[in-house]
Amino acid sequence: MRQTGHWSFIQAQYAHPPAAHDSCHLDIHSFLIYIVDIMAELLGAFEQAVLLAVWNLAGQAYGRAVLRGTETALDRKAAAGAVYATLDRLEQKGLLTSHVETGTPVRSGRARRYYQLTAIGVRALNESKAALEQLWQGAKWPLESKA
Amino acid sequence: MSQHAPPRWLERALLRCLPARDRETISGDLLEEYREVQLPHHGPLRANIWYLRQLISFLAVRSFGGSTMRASLAWMSVITALAGVWLAVMEHILKHPGYAGRSTVAACIVIQGLATVLFLMWHGRPIFRLIVQAGALGATVLGASAIIRMLNAPHFEGFVLLIGAALIVQGILALAVVGGARHGAAV
Repeated sequence: MRQTGHWSFIQAQYAHPPAAHDSCHLDIHSFLIYIVDIMAELLGAFEQAVLLAVWNLAGQAYGRAVLRGTETALDRKAAAGAVYATLDRLEQKGLLTSHVETGTPVRSGRARRYYQLTAIGVRALNESKAALEQLWQGAKWPLESKA
Repeated sequence: MSQHAPPRWLERALLRCLPARDRETISGDLLEEYREVQLPHHGPLRANIWYLRQLISFLAVRSFGGSTMRASLAWMSVITALAGVWLAVMEHILKHPGYAGRSTVAACIVIQGLATVLFLMWHGRPIFRLIVQAGALGATVLGASAIIRMLNAPHFEGFVLLIGAALIVQGILALAVVGGARHGAAV
């Protein structure tokens, strides 16, 4: 599903922030925070693993490297189709951007697509971690059966 | 090893199921992994099996990814197709009077199930849409009539109830998915 509506709007706001005297500025900013908060709650473990892999790889996050990074983060094999579909979805949501560079001879010159976290992506990851920590706050880990 | 490549038919199949934007980059990633890791460490046979597994993962995502309704329809179609095979085989073995007609109906159930799966994998082809729509209507009517007839029959036959219910569910799901696809909804 291509969620272009909201995400295009958010990306446009980040690319061309309104002037400080703009009366809509605060509302839009609040809206962005609201959207990012919702998004953090909706980020699944797999999406977080993919985003973290992109983050850890810094400027070297192309598909194959992200796949390996995701597998390392999850400590299990991941289907390539699932990783690429997640990258595509996160890019559509505005959490990632990508650009294409020339390929190497080992891949017969086929281009590589490199991914990078956007400001929204970084924020969503931070919010996800904060939400998880908040959730576990006060609970003694590991949990023991009360039965 | 750089001159080695996966079988051409596998590469062609992969390219067909990738979106135009990612064809070069994703096939390049897989080729790189194939040449640098799979082929040197596991040999040609296992490397080709690995490539086939990647292709299947892309096919699965393309066909059923992101939609519970599509995935449910795919499973229901497989179940009804298998039920159709079972019915046809049983009719052929038992050969009760009128088995030829019932075998034909069973074959139609199999064809309808397989056509639905093909539609999910290569949606957008109008011919598949027509077949699936007609099949979905047929499956719903067949399932309902089978259940009604079973309820009026002197003996209760559980498998008829199950297959009839499966056909109705599959028919309704198929109509919803095809209708959604026609109106551009992400289903």
